[in-house]
Amino acid sequence: MGFRTYLIKRLINTVILLLFVIVLNFAIFELLPGTQGSIANLIQNPRVSDVQLHHLEIVYGICSGFDSAGKCIPASVWDKFSVYFVRMITFNFGDSQQTGHSVVSDMITTGRLANTLLLLGVSTVVALVIGIFLGVFAAAKRGRIFDSGWVTVSLTTTALPTFFMGLIFILVFTQWLGWFPGGGVTPSDWIRGVPPLSTQILVRLQYLFLPALTLTLFFYGGNLLLTRATMGEALTEDYITTARAKGLSERTVLFKHALKNASLPIVTNAALSFGFLLTGAIITETVFNWDGLGLWLFKAIGWKDFPVMQAMFFIIALCVIAANLASDIIYGMIDPRIKYE
Amino acid sequence: MPFWLVRLKNFLAILLKNKLAATGFFFLVFFIFLAIAAPLLTPYNPSGSVVSGKFDAPDWVTVVNGPSGYSKNIAFPGLSINQSGSGLNVVASGQTPTSVNLHIVSGGQAGTVQLLESLTYPYLGSPRSISGLANLVVSGLNNPFTVNVYLERVGEAKINLWYPTVINATRTYAPNPAIDSALGAFNTQLGLPSSGVIDAASYLFAPRAANYNYVMQFAVPSSFSGTIKVTQFSMTLLGTTWGILGTDSGGHDIFTQIVYGARLSLIVGLVATGISIGFGLIIGLMAGYLGKIVDEVLMRFTDMLLVIPNLPLLIVLVATIGPSLLYIILFLGFFGWQGFARVVRSQVLSLRERPFIEAAKASGAGTGYILVRHVFPNIVSLTYVSLALSVPAAIVGEAALSFLGLGDPTTITWGQMLQRADQAGINTANLAWWWIIPPGVAIALISLSFILLGYAMDEMFNPRLRRRR
Repeated sequence: MGFRTYLIKRLINTVILLLFVIVLNFAIFELLPGTQGSIANLIQNPRVSDVQLHHLEIVYGICSGFDSAGKCIPASVWDKFSVYFVRMITFNFGDSQQTGHSVVSDMITTGRLANTLLLLGVSTVVALVIGIFLGVFAAAKRGRIFDSGWVTVSLTTTALPTFFMGLIFILVFTQWLGWFPGGGVTPSDWIRGVPPLSTQILVRLQYLFLPALTLTLFFYGGNLLLTRATMGEALTEDYITTARAKGLSERTVLFKHALKNASLPIVTNAALSFGFLLTGAIITETVFNWDGLGLWLFKAIGWKDFPVMQAMFFIIALCVIAANLASDIIYGMIDPRIKYE
Repeated sequence: MPFWLVRLKNFLAILLKNKLAATGFFFLVFFIFLAIAAPLLTPYNPSGSVVSGKFDAPDWVTVVNGPSGYSKNIAFPGLSINQSGSGLNVVASGQTPTSVNLHIVSGGQAGTVQLLESLTYPYLGSPRSISGLANLVVSGLNNPFTVNVYLERVGEAKINLWYPTVINATRTYAPNPAIDSALGAFNTQLGLPSSGVIDAASYLFAPRAANYNYVMQFAVPSSFSGTIKVTQFSMTLLGTTWGILGTDSGGHDIFTQIVYGARLSLIVGLVATGISIGFGLIIGLMAGYLGKIVDEVLMRFTDMLLVIPNLPLLIVLVATIGPSLLYIILFLGFFGWQGFARVVRSQVLSLRERPFIEAAKASGAGTGYILVRHVFPNIVSLTYVSLALSVPAAIVGEAALSFLGLGDPTTITWGQMLQRADQAGINTANLAWWWIIPPGVAIALISLSFILLGYAMDEMFNPRLRRRR
């Protein structure tokens, strides 16, 4: 097959998925009753002037034209879709109905995107590192207490709902011990002035700790169990016996030989579970009032701010598709069966 | 003994040898018991009666922390009638512990008639809230009289709850503001801030054992004649501890909510999984067996659904269509079948080439017959793990939706309990641990039981794993 052919097939797949997501997003937000092109709730609102409504109707492509009285001639579904399609491709999500600023600027300048990336980044890295390390050792000590203990713990933490763990952490660490703050990204009195950089980093870490801990705890379990399973398979192979016979240290055998060959499913799974990671991030952000994209989606639902909801849904789906593509590419690069076929 | 029962017994015997499976099985049976026996385990309705004060800790906290600072529900017992003043004729009829009809005639002198309820308050903590009733129906007056309700801490203080009021007309009377510690006006009347740390309950009832008299006093002038029907004279004190698991922000019993929540969780988990497995089986069977084009189309469709992030879509759909348990179950079921369909498909693909299928085809069997009678029994063993993993996913999914506030408001599921606990505590940074820990632990245990059972059954029945050994 070769790497190039594989890559092209995967890219075509990605494009199809993108189109599907765009159509789905359109169907939910434009076709379902009560949404009508993101401005249904504005039509009834007495504080929205006719001029504003007029402008929005053009922007969102709801009207194909205006009759002599200035009233809207509803556009056909096809027309609506083409306007919507162009908007999605160019990332023009319109303006947030709550704040009046464009959705994109609300996302970036208020630091929401950065906050979510920070939380996700730290959690993913830590969950991967911990999960893989513990999984390798659990596979090496199969059947012993270390192994069964960590398997039980991983199964338990995967069974616990994320928000419950978050609430327990707030209960224990904020209410009973008072070690960490219970929510937010930065202290509220920073509005008046930000302390010097070293204090700033420490305080930010303090605020980051509990949400990152919650999210990490939710994801290391899956990595651990998968690593243990694949390593278990890899360790039964003959070349491991050879490596040990050669006198290599157990650590070299485990990490340089077994893990490298076992890493394929782990890597692909890590990329594929990005979708679940985003879901977990939404919940964690809500529990800890962490001002990121997930919390924004949640608030937008309360405000019935449809442009934001639409944008968030699209972006999240986009991230999942991108993660899948990345996973496919990495898979193609690492798995020699694809390269040399 | 019927054959199927023997098979079940053998199956259970093998299953329970695995320690993890036995644990899972035990928890599952426990929750099914909770679900079925809910009305027997608790006399209360989950959404209904206020059983005690708000935010009550569980009863057994007094064992751990000591009794000081805690109190339980208690009410003033029945009333007795006293009178003073010569020439006063009081006829009492229809006396119950909380009501009595009085016909009072006074002679040449004024006098007083008292209804008295006495309570020995045994607890070392103030009550959470108090509410007292003092309702009169007056008739046949020839002169006005004065009514007064007060609380007396014997030997210490006497506090007016219903200030002396002149009654001169034939109608019903009740104190205004009502004797209720939750009312701001009542607190203000006592000289306390309308809402704050010290409320009427802790002001009136000291956090120690003491004797209290709850008195309604009628002061009648001379030459008075009238009928006073006291329709309700009682005071209830709601304590600060209650029951096995305490109460929530509305005073409802949490144990009841947990027990009834088991039903909802099991229903959500099993029905959603039923939909997932049914769908997944059909699609996987068709894709695997009917081959080429059908396979390609169905697998593309499955891939597309796999890519959509579940929770955001569920959030958005529920936000637009509206929260209802039925929709939630349908959505959860609809997003659970993809993985299972793939597994079924790959197994069917490998089964398709087996000689017994070929033989069946040669005998003239149709596609449907082959699918149902030959293919299906060989993939049932694959359903175990999916079943075991889908159920917790559905339960936790519903809990997550409820936690985000999108659950069905007419039901009280464990997820909704967590949402309410979070909402109630979030502003004061004061989370009630007895409200948060039980539902979360319940969700975790029920998920864990399904996961353990699923893994155990997979180890036993999955043909692929068996081959490797």
